[in-house]
Amino acid sequence: MGLFGRGGQSGRERRAMRDHLDELDEMRRTRLAELGKTTGEMASVGKFDHARLSEQAAEVVKIDREADLIARGLEEGLTLQELEDLARAGEESGSRSR
Amino acid sequence: MRKGALKKKQKQLEELLLDRREALGELVLGMYVQNSWDDDLLARGSAEVAEVETELNELIAGNEPSGPSTTEKDFPVTGEHRLPSGPDAPETSEYTAEHSVPASGEYTAEHSLPESTEHDYPETGEYTAEHSLPESAEYTAEQPLPDAPIEQTKPSRAERKLEKKRRKEEERRQKEEAEAREAKQRAAEAEAARAAARKAAEEKAAETGDTENKPDPVPAEPNSSPVPAPAPPSATAPTPSATASVPSAVPRAEDDRPSTGITGDASGGDSPERGGKAIDVPPPPAPPKPEPTDPLDVLEKQLDESEARAKTAIEAAKASLKTDTQTELSAITREVETGRNDLDEALKKAAAAIASAEEKAAKAEAKLLRETAAGRESAAEWVRSQAAEIEADAALAAEMTRDGAPESEGPDPVTAARVASLEAELAAEKASKEEALTKAAARLQEIERNAKLAEARVEAAEHAAAEAKAKAEISARSSSTSAATDKASEAESREAAVNWLRGQITALRQEISKGDSTDPGGK
Repeated sequence: MGLFGRGGQSGRERRAMRDHLDELDEMRRTRLAELGKTTGEMASVGKFDHARLSEQAAEVVKIDREADLIARGLEEGLTLQELEDLARAGEESGSRSR
Repeated sequence: MRKGALKKKQKQLEELLLDRREALGELVLGMYVQNSWDDDLLARGSAEVAEVETELNELIAGNEPSGPSTTEKDFPVTGEHRLPSGPDAPETSEYTAEHSVPASGEYTAEHSLPESTEHDYPETGEYTAEHSLPESAEYTAEQPLPDAPIEQTKPSRAERKLEKKRRKEEERRQKEEAEAREAKQRAAEAEAARAAARKAAEEKAAETGDTENKPDPVPAEPNSSPVPAPAPPSATAPTPSATASVPSAVPRAEDDRPSTGITGDASGGDSPERGGKAIDVPPPPAPPKPEPTDPLDVLEKQLDESEARAKTAIEAAKASLKTDTQTELSAITREVETGRNDLDEALKKAAAAIASAEEKAAKAEAKLLRETAAGRESAAEWVRSQAAEIEADAALAAEMTRDGAPESEGPDPVTAARVASLEAELAAEKASKEEALTKAAARLQEIERNAKLAEARVEAAEHAAAEAKAKAEISARSSSTSAATDKASEAESREAAVNWLRGQITALRQEISKGDSTDPGGK
């Protein structure tokens, strides 16, 4: 590990995480725009389909969660493996809580 | 408007549309997170998006939009703009776009709040640049507190982390509890096993003491020693039969010495002087068994213990084997029964399948028979039709034979001979014609030669005549009478040459005509 290394995280992993975070941001914007468009279309019809809107919003929430996870990985210097474990643990706890 | 400006405006509008859509999406997301849908708010947001979209469409269509453009309105991209507006004051007071708020955001009571006809600002004037309302209790009196922002309902990373930690802690605690329970259970089992072993060892010791008639220095001691408490009932403990199979030693010894044990209840009844007192008074604690000091004794004791342990284990194993065998037997019986049932069912199914197959086979056979019969019939018909056709052909052939046998029978020898003779004739004729032609050609050549000779002679005669004429002229000059005779002789010679020539030509013509008549097909 280098002198300025952050935990077990390598530079490549860090870069990959940053790139992925950027991708997620972009994806979030796109999804939000789609959500807005769908809402506009529903407004033009005069009826809002909450279920459909919820579906799309849930996707954005998922993206947010993933972005949070990646951001945490960057902050805490976690490796990709650790992040994966964390994500799995989160999923398991989520499913258990459900 | 210039083209460049239009393009720029279009770009601005596109960006604005995208921003507004995103803002609307954020709004929907917030509603989803809070799980409180406000269709009115959604409709307003959608109207704003639609406004920009319409303007953009008009611009693309080439119609310059009239009035103030939406791009000129400075809307933030957060989606917090255009919340309920108008005379009814916003509840959240999160407005930013409509007011020009100083960047410092240090609004206090000292500053005059921006004049706005749309909103009623609270008198406290504690608005910051972000318009986030203070969380203090000062806000309750003047106006209702704004709804909690979306971010508050959505747990932050730190909160989630804490929650996860708490969950992990709880899981760990549960795990520890489970492990403790398990350990306790295991200890109980071990204790039971140990007790059983000890009991078995004691029995063994008692047995050896009886058989060998060894004088026991303290015969009552082992029996009077407190019998180890029975092991607590455990599901995993060895079967009770392991200890039940060797119950003889201790009770017998107790029977021999009824006064020492608690179980001497009946014997107490037998001895009148003790009566019920034996029950009331607990037996004195037995002195501890003296530890053998002799290594041989120690070894013997160890051997006994190990033997007892082994015996117990064997018995336990036997018992478990027995129970296992019984269980296994019953399981096997059940399996056999199930298998038999299955087999019966399978047999029934097979029988049904066989019956259906037989039925199908019978049907198929009948069908085959029918088809075979039909096939035979059709084959016979075909044969009949073929025979009829053959007969018709034969009749036709016979008729044709009758009508034109010579034609049908190949070349006739007579005809062939005739043809051959004709051909031979033709060949001979050709040959004779060719011969005649050759002859004629030769004759012609001869005639030509002769003609040439005659011409030469004529020329010679003419020459001679000319000479004679010249001579005659010369002589005429000399004598007129001799001239006349010269002329007459010249005419006579000329006449003779022409006559000869005419005769030659006539003969030649006759020759040619003769050759033609002898070879009519020749050339």
